[in-house]
Amino acid sequence: MSVLHLILELILMPLVAFVVGLALVLMMRKIAARLQRRVGPPFLQPVYDIIKLYGKDTQISHGMIHEMGIIMAVGGYIAAETLLPVPGMSGLADKGGLVTLAYVLMIPSLGLALGVGQCANPNGSIGISRALTAMLAYDVPFILVIFGVAWMYGTTNLADMIAIQQQGGPQTWGIMQMPLLALAGLLTLPAMMGKHPYEIYVAPAEIATGPMVEMSGKFMGGLFVMQCFQLYTVGVLYTTLFLGGGENWLTFLLKVFAVLAIPMSIAYLFPRYRTEDVLRLMWKWPVLIGLLGLAVVMK
Amino acid sequence: MSKDDLILRKERQLQVELGQQRSNPLAHVFDNLVNFCRSRSLFMLHYCTGCGAIELPPAMTSRFDMERLGIQPMVTPRQADILLITGYVSIKTLKRIILTYEQMPAPKYVIGICSCTVNGGMYWQSYATAKVLKHYLPVDVYIAGCMPRPEAVIEGLQDLMEDIKSGRANSWKKYFHNYDYYLGNQQQLFGEDWQTPTDIIAEARHYDLLTEQTLGEHTALLEKHQKPLEALEMRLQGQKQPL
Repeated sequence: MSVLHLILELILMPLVAFVVGLALVLMMRKIAARLQRRVGPPFLQPVYDIIKLYGKDTQISHGMIHEMGIIMAVGGYIAAETLLPVPGMSGLADKGGLVTLAYVLMIPSLGLALGVGQCANPNGSIGISRALTAMLAYDVPFILVIFGVAWMYGTTNLADMIAIQQQGGPQTWGIMQMPLLALAGLLTLPAMMGKHPYEIYVAPAEIATGPMVEMSGKFMGGLFVMQCFQLYTVGVLYTTLFLGGGENWLTFLLKVFAVLAIPMSIAYLFPRYRTEDVLRLMWKWPVLIGLLGLAVVMK
Repeated sequence: MSKDDLILRKERQLQVELGQQRSNPLAHVFDNLVNFCRSRSLFMLHYCTGCGAIELPPAMTSRFDMERLGIQPMVTPRQADILLITGYVSIKTLKRIILTYEQMPAPKYVIGICSCTVNGGMYWQSYATAKVLKHYLPVDVYIAGCMPRPEAVIEGLQDLMEDIKSGRANSWKKYFHNYDYYLGNQQQLFGEDWQTPTDIIAEARHYDLLTEQTLGEHTALLEKHQKPLEALEMRLQGQKQPL
């Protein structure tokens, strides 16, 4: 692969991820609206929101680290997109692999923690401490799941995993080979997305959206962009590990949207869990199922 | 503000006015796009005063669904575009409203709902109520009624959207341009030592919104006793002072 080709892929992959992510945000808001018997936002609403936030006339910054934090939050996900293979483009997936991806996915939360720290708003501090605790909660089952998958395929290379699953057809997909790990992954998904019912760290009515409390204008716009990447990353990762990636863009996008529609549809039916309940839930059921799945895989 | 500053400012205004008559039809495409997006994405602050607030839940939820128009509630002033004043404004509440308004990033819009915000309504004779809202804050849209139904609220919001789309909703600039007038009215109610955490004069200077009316006798009074802001001391209850 020539250098020029690689550079083109590195630019295109985050761009595609952003556009798909916008559609995923729209889907999430539409599902929420339909469950509440509303019409929901118009088709381009996520775009309007982001352009408006970046077009604010006065921007309130709390200093250098505040701005760097947002750059880290968005940049971490942009780096993650180049490690996730999509149909026709593999970017750095050959060189990176699952372990790098797991590291890179922690950068956004840490960047956000840095940025919120400088705002010196008590609500923000409470929110970010809850967010990091939630990360501690879902990272244990997440690492279990990716360890089991890597053991099963004998590689941490995402491109190789997709090749193995696509050669064997649907009966060799991860979800057929290791259903317990797939279930554990599905239970961990909503917590990784930070959506209902695991959004205690946002908690609009109690701590005024927690980490986002001091974010205005372009900072909030950066977080809206980050949300698009976040949904895309979670959906594509699950599709890659368990649903055989995508043979072409049509099946790929179908799988990604279907995977995310499941937790989104369930999410709005439940009230929020408290932080300790998230921890207890995450460390009990997904970890238990994941360990069982690991035992089956490693027998 | 020195005389040189004023002359410089007038020259700049002249340049802007000249620039607006550019013959290139594409000169305003970007501005129009941003204005359109601003009008279609309005975050309103979860802050309600008085009795009109009761009309907002039906306007937001399944019966009337304001999210169709891109309007959704936000909980902090930093994220919000619209400040809804939904009913009578007591003097104590008005202090909070002004603090909140000054923290919002511009362009920001104020909507006065119910007749109490227009002229005091049935609280006209009350000693504890601020009667006319626009004496203390620039108001974009008034929605009269006691109380207006959700249809009226949505109609008012659509008027505001039209104004934003055509670039007429610039009342937030009035607060910077005529700060002396608004501060004078605020001082009349809250006393001479009234001071907010946001330094409006410095912001007006930074964003080039300073005019002859921004500074005056009332801002001079403010500057005389203005205390620099300090971070609040954080300690648990019952904890002793550190030595």
